[in-house]
Amino acid sequence: MFLLTLVPSALVLLIIFGLYEKSKALLGLKSLGSLLFSTTWSPLRGEFGFLPFIMGTLWVTAVALVIAVPVSLFTAIYLSEYAPKVFREFAKPVIDLLAGIPSVVFGVWGIMVVVPFVGNVLAPLFGVYSSGYSILAGGIVLAIMIFPTIIHVSLEVFASIPVALRETSLSLGATRWETVHHVVLRKGAQGILAASILGLSRAFGETMAVLMVVGNVPLVPKSLFQPGYPLPALIANNYGEMMSIPLYDSALMLAALVLLVVVLVSSILGRWILVKAERRAE
Amino acid sequence: MKKAFVAALAAVSLLAPMAGTSFGQSGSSVSGNLSLSGAWALYPMALKWVEEFQKLYPGVRIDVQAGGAGKGIADALAGMVDVGMVSREINPAELEKGAFVVAVTKDAVVPTLSVRNPLLKELLARGLKKEEFAGLWITKTVTSWDALLGRKGKADAHVYTRSDACGAAETWAAYMGKKQEDLGGIGVYGDPGLADAVKRDPLGVGFNNVNFAYDARSLKPVVGIVILPIDIDGNGKIDPAENVYATRNDITKAIADNVYPSPPARDLYFVTKGKPAKPALVAFLKWVLTEGQKYVPETGYIPLSAAKLSEGLDKIGAAGAK
Repeated sequence: MFLLTLVPSALVLLIIFGLYEKSKALLGLKSLGSLLFSTTWSPLRGEFGFLPFIMGTLWVTAVALVIAVPVSLFTAIYLSEYAPKVFREFAKPVIDLLAGIPSVVFGVWGIMVVVPFVGNVLAPLFGVYSSGYSILAGGIVLAIMIFPTIIHVSLEVFASIPVALRETSLSLGATRWETVHHVVLRKGAQGILAASILGLSRAFGETMAVLMVVGNVPLVPKSLFQPGYPLPALIANNYGEMMSIPLYDSALMLAALVLLVVVLVSSILGRWILVKAERRAE
Repeated sequence: MKKAFVAALAAVSLLAPMAGTSFGQSGSSVSGNLSLSGAWALYPMALKWVEEFQKLYPGVRIDVQAGGAGKGIADALAGMVDVGMVSREINPAELEKGAFVVAVTKDAVVPTLSVRNPLLKELLARGLKKEEFAGLWITKTVTSWDALLGRKGKADAHVYTRSDACGAAETWAAYMGKKQEDLGGIGVYGDPGLADAVKRDPLGVGFNNVNFAYDARSLKPVVGIVILPIDIDGNGKIDPAENVYATRNDITKAIADNVYPSPPARDLYFVTKGKPAKPALVAFLKWVLTEGQKYVPETGYIPLSAAKLSEGLDKIGAAGAK
């Protein structure tokens, strides 16, 4: 049984090792620095600049977090502190249902609803032109996909805060909101941070939904309304060219490796903070 | 009772995988499992062929997936599928990796406009020359419909292309002497996705395989899309001889008669890894190149010449002889 638990961790290491082996061909020719910071992506001419994709990933994830964290947080606060129990027990499975919807369904919905919304409503409001296929569209779809993660973990964090603390605060004359603000949020701050980081890890890797609405133009985005090209979309779109263009497979494996490392680091960070927060609350 | 049930279940689940193996080697007792994946361009034709083939050879189970020509060739060369459907020319690098290529039919990529384009009538009467298409997608010298027509106005051109590695984009780029990565524009996933993007954007311009630009039932362009004519002789207007886009039959005839340029018309290929040896696979490929060809025109494709077909048969015949 001990050996069985080693299997998932061994798999992760195997994947990292495999990706690194495949990327060696490209890393042997160009330095990691030049690959990560160059902006030209033209594989047939041997140019593999990853910066547009890294920036695309960062922009889309940042937008998703900025939208998702406040909304999820307030939802979790409402469900945990204010909502009647019946409502809470009804809302929790509904939110978890969101987590179960396949990525491509979000993508199709994104094309039908979010893209026209961004292109025909939001962009004219700001006086710019946008086709709708943009970083903002990708961020909105991604935000909706990470709601369940952040809400779920935040609810667990709030539940782990002793009721006694809230009772003490209320007995001293604080209002509900003041209790939430000064006690619950203060105590749960680390946990909320962890929840956000977990949402971040999910956002980094989400591929299909974002690919369908983000525009897929390999340029560093300069505004929310411009199209972008995150790393997972790069891999999913160009998997087919791997066999045809020399070094392309190595480049895509390197992109996969970079993505994997980023997701791993943020997941581990999130878990660590969460464990510390829960230990403190005991 | 329960033990007997469990035993029966175990027996069935152990024997079930054997149902797909081929014991027969000739005629309609050929059996086995085949898988195809790849170009959206070939997808409707492959589905038709698979349907008709399975009627004649019920022992063969065939599974077809789309995903783009790039996916098709990658899957085939990785050994994950039996046949990769590819809608572009095969690269030397792919041949070196063992690609065995057979041409199976022909179709084309056509440029598309939205039916709601404000300058639709003028653009349809005038068409675009190859240099102007390159100006839209490659050099970005054509950025506005009004400017193209020599008028003042704000009708910008919104250019769309394919985000996935695919034959349609490669073929469209080949028409302009370039490669897919040189096509600039918003990248949309999949053939139907591109058609949809152009449909929604009045100022949009894109391209599609014939079978996604035309509705399979009405044989007219899909509702919301209009085919942007190519000004082949470059005289600045679309002559009656160049006006071949009214229905799918018109465009396929134009392709067969070589009126429509090649590229963007091109042969479509089935690619296997190395010479095909599996009996079911050989039977399928041979059928496609012989009796399968009669389903080609009705599905909206162009039949290959007898010479090309027999060339393909010779290639396979040498491999699958028993």
